[in-house]
Order: sequence, then C-alpha cells, then structure tokens
Amino acid sequence: MVILSGFGQGLLVAMQPENLLYCFLGVFLGTFIGVLPGIGSMAAISMLLPLTFYLDPTAALVMIAGVYYGAEYGGSIASILMNIPGTPSSSITCIDGYPMAREGRAGIALFTSAMASFGGGLIGMVVMAVLAPALASLALNFGPTEYFAVILLGLVAASAVSNGSPVKGISMVVAGLMLGTVGVDITTGAERFTMGIPEMRDGVHLVIVAMGLFGVGELIVSIRANATGAHQNDIDYAKFYPSRAEWKAMIGPIWRGAGIGSFFGALPGTGQTVASAVAYAVEKKVSPNKAMFGRGAVEGVAVPESANNSATQTAFIPTLPLGVPGSASMALVIGALMMYGIVPGPRLLIDHADLFWGLVASFLIGNVLLLILNIPMIGLWVRLLKIPYRYMYPTIIVLICMGVYSLNNNVFDIWLTLAFGWAGYLMRLFRFEPAPFLIGFVLGPMMEEQLRRAMLLSRGDPSVFLTRPISGTLIAITVLLLAWSIYAALKARREGRRIAAFSDE
Amino acid sequence: MKTLIALGTAAALMASTATVALAEPGKWTDEPVRIVVTFPPGGTSDLIARILAKYFESEYGQKAVVDNRPGAGGTVAADYVAQQAPDGTTLILGNNAPFTIAPTQFPDLPYEPIAGFTHIAYLGASTPALFVQPNSGIASLDDYIATAKADGITYGSSGVGSITHILGKAVDIELGIDQIHVPYQGSAPAIQDFRAGVLEAYYDMLAQNRDLITGGETLPIALAAPQRSPLFPEIPTFRELGHDIVVENWTGLSGPAGMDPAMVETIHDTVEAIMDMEPVVEQLAQWGISHTEMTTPEFTSFVGGTIDTWKPLIEAAKVNGG
Repeated sequence: MVILSGFGQGLLVAMQPENLLYCFLGVFLGTFIGVLPGIGSMAAISMLLPLTFYLDPTAALVMIAGVYYGAEYGGSIASILMNIPGTPSSSITCIDGYPMAREGRAGIALFTSAMASFGGGLIGMVVMAVLAPALASLALNFGPTEYFAVILLGLVAASAVSNGSPVKGISMVVAGLMLGTVGVDITTGAERFTMGIPEMRDGVHLVIVAMGLFGVGELIVSIRANATGAHQNDIDYAKFYPSRAEWKAMIGPIWRGAGIGSFFGALPGTGQTVASAVAYAVEKKVSPNKAMFGRGAVEGVAVPESANNSATQTAFIPTLPLGVPGSASMALVIGALMMYGIVPGPRLLIDHADLFWGLVASFLIGNVLLLILNIPMIGLWVRLLKIPYRYMYPTIIVLICMGVYSLNNNVFDIWLTLAFGWAGYLMRLFRFEPAPFLIGFVLGPMMEEQLRRAMLLSRGDPSVFLTRPISGTLIAITVLLLAWSIYAALKARREGRRIAAFSDE
Repeated sequence: MKTLIALGTAAALMASTATVALAEPGKWTDEPVRIVVTFPPGGTSDLIARILAKYFESEYGQKAVVDNRPGAGGTVAADYVAQQAPDGTTLILGNNAPFTIAPTQFPDLPYEPIAGFTHIAYLGASTPALFVQPNSGIASLDDYIATAKADGITYGSSGVGSITHILGKAVDIELGIDQIHVPYQGSAPAIQDFRAGVLEAYYDMLAQNRDLITGGETLPIALAAPQRSPLFPEIPTFRELGHDIVVENWTGLSGPAGMDPAMVETIHDTVEAIMDMEPVVEQLAQWGISHTEMTTPEFTSFVGGTIDTWKPLIEAAKVNGG
C-alpha cells in the first residue's frame, strides 16, 4: 500500500537525529509561545524564518510545523489557568477550561486538554496520511456556495451555545455578527463603521477581541473581587489525573472534535478557530452533559482542543498538495518552501515525497514529544496560580500588550484591546455570555463574504444553494436541525416548568 | 476610450538628464536599519526585503531587520514611515498599494505620497496576466471578448482596489466589455475557486501560477506587460494583440522626506549593487520580477506618474466596485 510504504519511508526521514532535534525544538518553542497570550504560531514562525535559511528543507518544515501545532497545545494552558487565550483558537477552551480551574480542577483540565490535543493530533495525522489526495480534491469542490452552507450549519448549531437566557444568547450572537462587519466591505470596497481610522479598515482582529473580552476583562473582574491576596480558590496541586467518569466523558468529544477539526482544517480559509467553535457548538447539542457546558465541563475542554489540534495537522492538506494556504501561518510555510525553490502544489507529493511523508511522520513524533513534555509540566503550570496577584497581573498585562502589538506592530491595537477589556468586564457584570458573541464574530464575516460571492457567481440566482449537491445536503441538515430544536423546545414547554431547574437566570 | 498606461517608459525618457551616481556602495549608518514591509511575513514582498536585509549586512556590514506592519492596504506602514526621522534608519519597501492606488482610493490619506517621502530606488516589477479555464473553448483574447459579449464572464481578483481589479477595469474599458468582478481576499482563494470551476477567469501575477500553467490547470491568454515574459515566451502581451494595457506591480525602496542626498545616493547604489548580484538576479527571475535601473529622481517621477496614469482606472473601479 502506497500510504504505508510512504509513511514508513517518512518515519525513517523523521527519525534522523537532525530532524528529531528540530522537531523537539519546534514543539518546545511552540508550547512556550502558545502559553504567552496573543503571540501565536504566526509570530513564532516569522521569527524563525531567517533561521531556516541554514537548514535542510525537511528539517525546516518539521520545525515550523512543530511550532504550529505545539502552539495549539500551549495555547490552552493560559486559557485554562488565567482565562487568557494563548492562541485565537483556544479562546473556545476558555469557556469551560477556566471555570474548571476556578473550581480547583485546573490539573484535570490541563490533563484533559493535553490528552484531547494528543488524540486530535493523532487522528488529524491519520486523516492527513490516508485522505490527503481525496480531501484535497473535496476541498477543491468547495466553492462559495458550499462554504456558505457549511457556515450556516455551524451558526445554527452555535445558536444553542448560550446557557443563560435565549434572548441574551441571541443578542450576543448578533452583537458578534455586527462587530464582524467593521472594516472595508470585501465585495464593494466601502468602509463600514471604521470611523475614519485607517487601522479599522481591516476590521477588528480576533486576537484583540479574544484577549480583551477574556483576558483583560477577567483581570478587571478579579481586581475588583480580590485586590490583595493570591488565587482565592483551593487547588489540589497533586490531582491532575482524571477520574474514571472524566476519562469516559472525554472519549466521545475527542473523536467528534477530531472529525470536525480534520474537516475544517482541510478547508482553506476556515482553520482551527472555526473548527473549535463549530465543534463546541455541535458537542453542546449532542452531549448528554449539556447543562454543565460553560460551567466547567470536561467535554467542553476536550472538544475544542481535539478539534484545533487535528485542524493544525490537516491544514497541511490544502497547503502542500494544492499550494492553497488555508491560513496566514500556512502562507508563511509556503513562503519558507519557496525560498528553497520548492513550489507547493500537485507535484509536491511526487517530486518531494521524502519531504511530505517525513512531515507526516514528524506529526506522530511531535505529538508524542508534546505529551511527554506536557504531562509532567502540569504541576508546574498549576503552581503559576500561586503567584500573588500583585506580581501576576502586571505581568499578564505586559504579556497581553506584547502579544497584541506583535500582530501588526501597531500601538492602536493595544488601546483597542483595553477597550474590549472594559466591554468584557461589563458583559460579565450584566451576565452576558461571551461564547455566542465570539462564535458570531468568527463565523459572521465569512458567511457574508461567501454568500455575496456565491450570489455574484450565480448572477443573482439564489437557487444555487439548493441545486448544488453538497450545499443542498448541508442546507437540508440545517433545516432538520432547526426543526428538531424547535420541536424539542415546544416539547419541553409542554412538559412544564421542569426546564427552569436548568436555567441559572 | 483609449487608455495609455505606460509605466516605466515615461521614466526612461527622463534618464538622459539624470546625474550619474558618484557614491560607493556601503553602509550608511551605524544604527541598525529597519525595512518596513506593508505585508505580513511570507509573501514575495517580504522575501525581497529579507534578501536586501541579508546582503546589506553580509556584503556591506549594514545591520538591517525586516519590520512587518501590515494593514489598510499598506497605508498604515506608509503613514508610520512618513513620520520617522529621515536619518536612514527607517526605510519602506513600497509598492502600488500605498503609493499608486491609495492616493486615489482614499481621499483622506494621512500622508503625502510624493512630498512626504524620499523615493530612493526602484527594485522591479512583476506582471499580471489574464487566466482562463483550459478546456472552456476560450483559447485567445478574441475568444474571450466574444464570450464576454455573448454570455458575460466572471473573473476573480485579489480584492477591491487591488492591482488585479484595476487591470480588470482597464480590460473592461479598453476592450469594451463588461466582466462580472468577483473580489477575493488575496489571489490564493480566487485560484482555489477557479480550480473548483466556479470562476471562469482571473487576473494574477504570471510567475505565481507557473506550476498550474505547466500542469495544464490554467491558461494565460494575455500579459499586461510591455514585452513578453522569459518564463513563458509563448504568451502574447495585450499590446501585441492591439490593446494598450500595461499594468505592472512595482516595488521600490523609499524613506521619510528630507533625507540627506549623499546618504540617499549611498543607499541607492548599495541597492543597485545587490540587485546585480548573481543569486539575487536568479531569485528575482524565479519570482518573475524584472529589474531595471532608475536613478533617484527617475524613481520619484515614476511614482508620481503612476498616480496620474492609474487615476481614471481606480476611479472607474471605485464607482462601480462590483
């Protein structure tokens, strides 16, 4: 079988001492950078780019990939411990990870995140090895119509994410959608809500929103709540090994997360953040434990982490065999390869089989390395919470500012983050949930872009959404999902006031 | 309406009056130099800046780093550089976006594209082409015009107000057709949709599509350059086909206004020396960038010239953006 021999050959390449060393260096650096708020794989890869001039292309690619998925591992650590998303995609992990940490289950949350990342990463790797050619051609069949349909499905699923009052949940989705419209309209070039500020022309960056709402907002809440002492919650430092029930709770979400993550990772233009947002929304719909979501559910940590790590692996599917970068980081990978004169595209699997399979095999090695690196570190990370607030807060603020500044090397972004921090504080004060807001913000602009593009291409005929097979199927699933949730809601109302027990409002 | 968009030729005419550069290539400041790039890391522009930075240091001992300041079509970076001290420590790798297009596109630009800068050296230009589906029955520009007139045609660009959109507008005006413009965020997603079969055509840089062309997945039918490309000499130019359309994506090095002329000369000559180095020439040819030497005054009037010649096209693209 071509795949097995390819993988075997790749394993030999990846096991070469030089590649092994750079793999380790990559994942180690990636984890570290992932922990730092806002400084994501993008910044790390661009800093490493000059170094790769001196490396063999395989070693360079293995290291860059290591940074890329290592950052997703690390990103969840700050999300869980401090409610500060280390990477944009781990902002979803904040939703349940941080409540777990507040309950003193930080160790378990970190362990869950490491296991889910590992599981998601491995599944993503297998998907990449087995399906790279097939998925590559499926991704090619995805036009604007199909993208619109799949995002619509995600958004409908997301409308179920809110725990509290449905009115507040929907208003938060709408607020997220509205914030997403800021910037130059992609279809006409008209400026929308930019207030004449050039920095606003490209819209508001997700990192700024996430860092402000979650990171800075949380800091303000904590300062008000507890001005002097250290972390007020008791933490069982030794306890990080999940109970039997927690193990069981994690398995399903890891599989589902990896499935959704692999799919969105392989689609250019969606990536880890959309993957974890949709996976979370879907899990919330199907999980038997849905009432606990947002209040420290193990599933709520496992599913986004599994999804974003599998997405980091499958992100290479469009990048290498198609030459279509799915994200900014992947565009950097292509840039790095072009410096070696290697042009990613359909011929890469044939002309540079060693490079491709060496990279796939390095995913296996890298994920094992990350697990070895991270499990013993859990105790250390959790002890971070013991640092008194008067040292911790200024440090975090400095790190957030550095992270935000590194996006565009622009001070304006720092001010914007602080403004979102106050917005996040007010939202928390009035019990508006950030999760639906974030999902609306992530999915809304993409949905608008694809809808308008699809309509331009169909020359104004909306029936394409139903007549194209993939899109038609997805729309049908969306309608069924909507019908089912309306039915479920009506049934619950008929059964009386029992539902009130689940609401915290 | 006849539109003449001759970039480079106008500047070349002025070459005779320019003074001969006397400075020696070498370092010009003891401080490290920042080369501001208007794009995030990874693209051709970023790679050119990194090549310059590398050779500034290895050949001339001039420390240099690349500083990526993306945002608002390069205007954020240009505005930033315009406000820096003109001491040679801050330079910008400029291009059409902030210097040619933005002055017409955004009326309330915070900087002066000509007076606000010292335009130092022209680095080169790459050229876009018109691409169509290989098996669509369109094999020439005449076929394209016929199809566009009969059934209408959709084309992808890398964004509203981008060079590929402006080229699309130039083609509309010059060929008397009305293509349906479908904007994307960069050329990669446009090409993806093209390969999925949902787009009938797109405009993009020729060199970036090399693999797709040799793989038979896309077919370039006309090039918006003054002459044919050495990469694919069989592709005709618009001009040869009787349509005077030249739209090039230029790149150059500039600094804040008011730099010391002697220093400017040193930087210019250092850049020229690097552009003549064997590995650099080869690398630029790979990326489809053709370099011609311009003196500093030539380059300055070149930038000003592009603003004037592109203005009607950008305004046409603005009025009916779709």
